[in-house]
Amino acid sequence: MAHLPLEIINLEKSFGTGFLNLKKVKPVKGISFEVKEGEIFGLLGPNGAGKTTTLKMITGLIFPDAGTISIFGKSSLSASSRKRIGFLPENPWFYEYLTAREFLKMTGGIFSIPSSEIRQRTDSLLERLGIAHAADTQMRKFSKGMLQRAGLAQAIINNPDFIILDEPLSGLDPIGRKDVRQLIIDLKKEGKTILFSSHILSDVEDVCDSVVILNSGLIKQKGRLSDLTATSAGTVEIQTQGPEMKLSDFPEKLRDSIQIESISRGTRLIFTEENANKNEILSFLIDAGQNIDKVFKHNRSLEDIFMENSSESKQQEN
Amino acid sequence: MGAILSISINTFREAIRNKIFYALAFFALLIIVTGHFFADISLHNEKRVLWDIGSGLISFFALALSIFTSASIIHKEIDKKTIYLVLSKPVERWKFIAGKTLGLLATVYSVITAMLLIFIVEMLLTGVSPGVNIFKAFILIMGEVLLVVSVSILFSSFSSPFITGMMTIGAVFIGRMLPDLKQILFMKYEHDFWRNLAESLLQVFPQLYLFIPNGHDFNGYHVSITTDFVTWGFIGWSMVYTLTYSCVILAIASLILSKRDLT
Ligand SMILES: Nc1ncnc2c1ncn2[C@@H]1O[C@H](COP(=O)(O)OP(=O)(O)OP(=O)(O)O)[C@@H](O)[C@H]1O
Ligand SMILES: [Mg+2]
Repeated sequence: MAHLPLEIINLEKSFGTGFLNLKKVKPVKGISFEVKEGEIFGLLGPNGAGKTTTLKMITGLIFPDAGTISIFGKSSLSASSRKRIGFLPENPWFYEYLTAREFLKMTGGIFSIPSSEIRQRTDSLLERLGIAHAADTQMRKFSKGMLQRAGLAQAIINNPDFIILDEPLSGLDPIGRKDVRQLIIDLKKEGKTILFSSHILSDVEDVCDSVVILNSGLIKQKGRLSDLTATSAGTVEIQTQGPEMKLSDFPEKLRDSIQIESISRGTRLIFTEENANKNEILSFLIDAGQNIDKVFKHNRSLEDIFMENSSESKQQEN
Repeated sequence: MGAILSISINTFREAIRNKIFYALAFFALLIIVTGHFFADISLHNEKRVLWDIGSGLISFFALALSIFTSASIIHKEIDKKTIYLVLSKPVERWKFIAGKTLGLLATVYSVITAMLLIFIVEMLLTGVSPGVNIFKAFILIMGEVLLVVSVSILFSSFSSPFITGMMTIGAVFIGRMLPDLKQILFMKYEHDFWRNLAESLLQVFPQLYLFIPNGHDFNGYHVSITTDFVTWGFIGWSMVYTLTYSCVILAIASLILSKRDLT
């Protein structure tokens, strides 16, 4: 049986802080999840949720207190488990005295890739990430966006099957974000598995297949994105043009389930599909002489799920 | 092997692109060049003075460079998080230590080799023949560099550059003065438990006094590069000692690093 790219079971990690490390903080409090071959997996959560701590354990930079991590079936404790992965750390720092080309040569060398092949891959990666013009510039002169791109290049220099990116979109301008999102999608098309973390949900909503939402070191939600944002709780918004309407103009049974407000030259109605039938309301509005201007159906967004979970855990903490 | 080689090349590159290192290396070469003015003023003792000064200077700068370049070597990588880029790849932590060590050795050895070459040219110009003792001294210096670099890497695997530097300097002083320290112990204290303990503790320090090229008393002999210098056998044994001691020290450093959370 082929092994999953990533399997995490009951992972825990705490750090000592303060005088003599006596105080403990526990950023990861027992989490389990798996990443399947070929998917784009989002590890989401607000600042301080424990995303970076989790990714550092996966890549062997820090060691779990409890639980296991296996990468293609190998324990993350052995260096060889990292053969098939690529990793972009959060806000990566570089050997600033190296040029981008030298840096990629060095990282390629770490994987014992033959130098002719490194040269070829370096050129194509620098091109692909849009920093070919700065290939021979020392990285101390790179902008934040260029550093992030160099970081992505080193993460895929070994042609990894499983790519782990910590906040790959941070520090990038809109063009950069679009480029990197496209890169992630392209990598998936090439058959790679991608795990990335983010605290900005709109960034990931249209890219991820599956997500885990982490908060205060615990998993709040996990699953396929399409299931989580399923329409059951979808909100509908209707905008009309016509004479101003009041709640009392509506049939009694609808009054409790809709909200209305007047907008310029018309009315806006908001309701959830659970509580009211969209078609019924539309035909009522037409009969009432309203001109239907716009109808939107809002799916429950990740943002909503995220907010629900964050406020929940805030309450628990209080 | 790929990882170790890449890490050491990178370490070498870092050192030679460091301005302070440049300044030190330049200074070292300059000092060596001026050595021959001393030889000129010393009338008929040219050979002795030149050899003494040359080997002494090379030995001094070798130590200074070793301490300076290695003090921050591990700490800086963790502090600047560049280590994440290396150790998140299939690289065991001992390979990181090995790569760093080899890179540092390459750095220090290149500077002192350049010093040696200038020194030899100087001797030829002054009409002094460069005898085999110069090379013996040079081998000893290389051995001492390995010891000092290893000790420094051990310290830097768990402490800050400043502390590492201080502790290494301390170890160098003690290591070079071991015969004197033993002498003091011998004269001042009875042959009891405490003296034995102190003696064995001193044994743990790198025995750097074995590598001083010149002018020290050694088992009652005055060793001089210009007259009675150490035998090849002695050099062979010191190298065996250096390699063994360094391997043990570096293994401990690797063990410490491999237990550390890199945060
Ligand atoms: N080395 C450490 N020592 C002490 N506490 C730490 C350490 N590393 C992380 N923490 C704490 O663990 C918690 C989680 O940190 P982590 O970096 O994993 O969060 P994150 O989800 O990546 O957040 P962000 O979105 O800000 O990157 C934080 O409260 C942080 O202060
Ligand atoms: Mg983070």
